[in-house]
Amino acid sequence: MAAEPSSSNIADSTGASAPAMARLAPWLGVATLALMLASLFMVFEYVPTEAQEGIVQRIFYFHVPCAWVAFAAFGLVAIAGVFYLWLGDQIWDDLGYAAAESGMVFCTLVLITGSLWAKPIWGAWWTWDSRITTTFILWLLYGGYLMLRAMADDTPEVARFGAVVGIVAALDVPVVIVSVRLWRTIHPAVLVTRQGGHGLEDPRMIATLLVATVAFTVMFAWLLMLRFAQLRLRSRMKELRRALALAEASAGDL
Amino acid sequence: MGSFAALLRKDLRLELRSGQSTLALFALSLLILVVLVFALSPEPRDRAEASAGALWVAMVFAGMLGATRALLSENENGCIRALAMSPVDPAMLYGAKLAAAFIFMTVAEAAAVLLVVLFFNLDFGPSLLRLAPPLVLGTLGFSALATLLAAISGRTRAGDLLLPLLAVPMFVPALIAGVKSSAAALAGAPFSAMSQWLGVLVAFDVLFVTLGGLLFEHVIGED
Repeated sequence: MAAEPSSSNIADSTGASAPAMARLAPWLGVATLALMLASLFMVFEYVPTEAQEGIVQRIFYFHVPCAWVAFAAFGLVAIAGVFYLWLGDQIWDDLGYAAAESGMVFCTLVLITGSLWAKPIWGAWWTWDSRITTTFILWLLYGGYLMLRAMADDTPEVARFGAVVGIVAALDVPVVIVSVRLWRTIHPAVLVTRQGGHGLEDPRMIATLLVATVAFTVMFAWLLMLRFAQLRLRSRMKELRRALALAEASAGDL
Repeated sequence: MGSFAALLRKDLRLELRSGQSTLALFALSLLILVVLVFALSPEPRDRAEASAGALWVAMVFAGMLGATRALLSENENGCIRALAMSPVDPAMLYGAKLAAAFIFMTVAEAAAVLLVVLFFNLDFGPSLLRLAPPLVLGTLGFSALATLLAAISGRTRAGDLLLPLLAVPMFVPALIAGVKSSAAALAGAPFSAMSQWLGVLVAFDVLFVTLGGLLFEHVIGED
């Protein structure tokens, strides 16, 4: 009987957030669907075609929001890592892991949409332009993080390793940005990036970009919440199993 | 400081008697350089660029396998646990392992520079001395990064496989800066052509030595 209060406490402390998130997730899904349909309409019907780049420029309205979400997600990995090392609560590790996985999806989308745009505009799928290179290094950094999680067991020790790698990778990004920019300034690329030269003079372009950014942010929040809730349930199950094993062991002693 | 000196002295004594890290680093550098000479066979005008690139590729990949032996040998018989439980400050432990990796790599690199000069038909001259700042700064940054990450990868199932996956992307800024400044040094460019790259290397070193010192206790700690 002595083990009962502690096991119910465990169920309360780690499991409470999971059902709340499970209730919220469908609403975020509906919001994602609505916002995505709105931004698709705006990208294909509402926004005027950019004069110089033509129809291809419309991929920009998906490309930039993906980049914002990818960077935000990887920032979240580092913040969750700091909190995990500080407080040691499993919830932060679950959040960091979920953010890394979801962020990786958007980082991949940035590279793919960028390539699709670059082929007709620059004449090449890939150039070692400073922003492309930085995004690609970011992708590799978080690929390393996910490889660590995939190749290691699911223990508090590995959660700490993940936190350390997440923090170190995020703080490495500014140095990557500076070095890659210097690298490309000294060796000018044949295809010069137009700094902000996407021609957003038209207010409809700004509106489309804003709606698409909100749509992608909500979609990220939705995916993050689904994965986070799943990881919370997994952590809860592990704690319940441990409590059960302890209870069985103490019953055996009697 | 006493614990730092004691730990470093122990690793240096082990190395002087076995020579395992330095020899492994040198042998791997030699093989990588031979492969790169076959692969690149550079034209005379590209020699500075190609030899600088070859030197840094050899440093990164040989270092990946050889530099962190002083740390990984502590995993045998659970010595790392004993060290983690001992009253040694984890930052000091990190510093000692970093210093050991730095010394082994520096010795092996001095030999690798001689090989590069021979293999790529460069001249022995004062330009080689100007390779020292980028190489020393790059080696320090690499040792700091590899020591922290090897403590992680060494305690997972994947082991050595994981270290390059984590370390190479993080080392990219130092790699770019190191190759560019080394190529400038070998081509006899003025110091001003190297200075901004040396700045990147210094920033990288400060960042990773600090982070390693702060985070090492979370990597070796027990639950």
